[in-house]
Amino acid sequence: MAILQAQDFSERSPLYPRHVGARLGQLGNAAVVAGYGDEDESAQLQRCALIDQSNLARVGFRGSDAAEYLRARGYRLPERPNQAQPQDDGCLVARLSQSEYLLLGSLRDAGSRIQQEEAGWQLGDSANYLLPRQDSHAWLLLTGEQASEVMAKLCGVDLRAEAFPPGSVAQTSAARINVIVINAPQGELPCLQILCDRASASYFWDALLDAMAEFDGRAAGIDALL
Amino acid sequence: MKIMPCPLNGPRNISEFTYGGELKQMPDPQACSDDEWADYVFNCDNHAGVVTEWWLHNASSYWFLAERHTVSDEIIRTFDPKELFDRRVDFAQPAARQEVVA
Repeated sequence: MAILQAQDFSERSPLYPRHVGARLGQLGNAAVVAGYGDEDESAQLQRCALIDQSNLARVGFRGSDAAEYLRARGYRLPERPNQAQPQDDGCLVARLSQSEYLLLGSLRDAGSRIQQEEAGWQLGDSANYLLPRQDSHAWLLLTGEQASEVMAKLCGVDLRAEAFPPGSVAQTSAARINVIVINAPQGELPCLQILCDRASASYFWDALLDAMAEFDGRAAGIDALL
Repeated sequence: MKIMPCPLNGPRNISEFTYGGELKQMPDPQACSDDEWADYVFNCDNHAGVVTEWWLHNASSYWFLAERHTVSDEIIRTFDPKELFDRRVDFAQPAARQEVVA
């Protein structure tokens, strides 16, 4: 099998130069870190790991008719702002305000459903406006039992499970940049989905890895998630 | 750190917010004088006491209103602007300016 290189793809994660030593896999039209080395990373994920999901599709919608539009497209929506609702196919819908929704793609379909939402939207008479998020944000996944302790070093908001249960969303500052943090466990695996400014991704990646070091946290790939 | 209660996001460090100036009543842009408009755009009351101010929560780009005592810096109340801005403001098309011929 030919070895994949991020440079072979036109869509690249802002973090691709940081994935030194990673084994890449294909995700839709982009490359994604499948793993580091040949070992199974499940135990690492359960302890403390950081995964770059920036090449997975995401998009936002805003407006007084956005909720109705998304319901008609088959999404179940969170009842209140700053809550997230997992969908049956693995997608995640986070409600960021009274009238704004953020849709995060699933690895199961390589993000194709959310990609189609972005491609298929058209400006019409209804107040439902597209918010492209692919090139504005980077998307990281912090996994493991130590995730909230890692975030406690960087962020002023209490992200422990008692105060921030699954389905919670926090729009706040971490390591001094704006982030959206979503508690969205995958089965038994504790997971914090983190979106940050794409241009600051390299800085934030290092800040997270530095905070994770005391918990033996490492960068990992998506293979152990699937 | 000082904590501000955001109406959308809950209590947050003050460093997550940006000050947006005093809440002022907009004069009718068609009917007011240039002085009234300049006063609205540029000048502040700088009142010592309880004032209502615009604040932005940076991480969620959410603008809201806060009642704050400017002497003690105590935040009395924060609330969604919908409490005051409950209807759409439509601006009339300004009359076409006549071209000045030199």
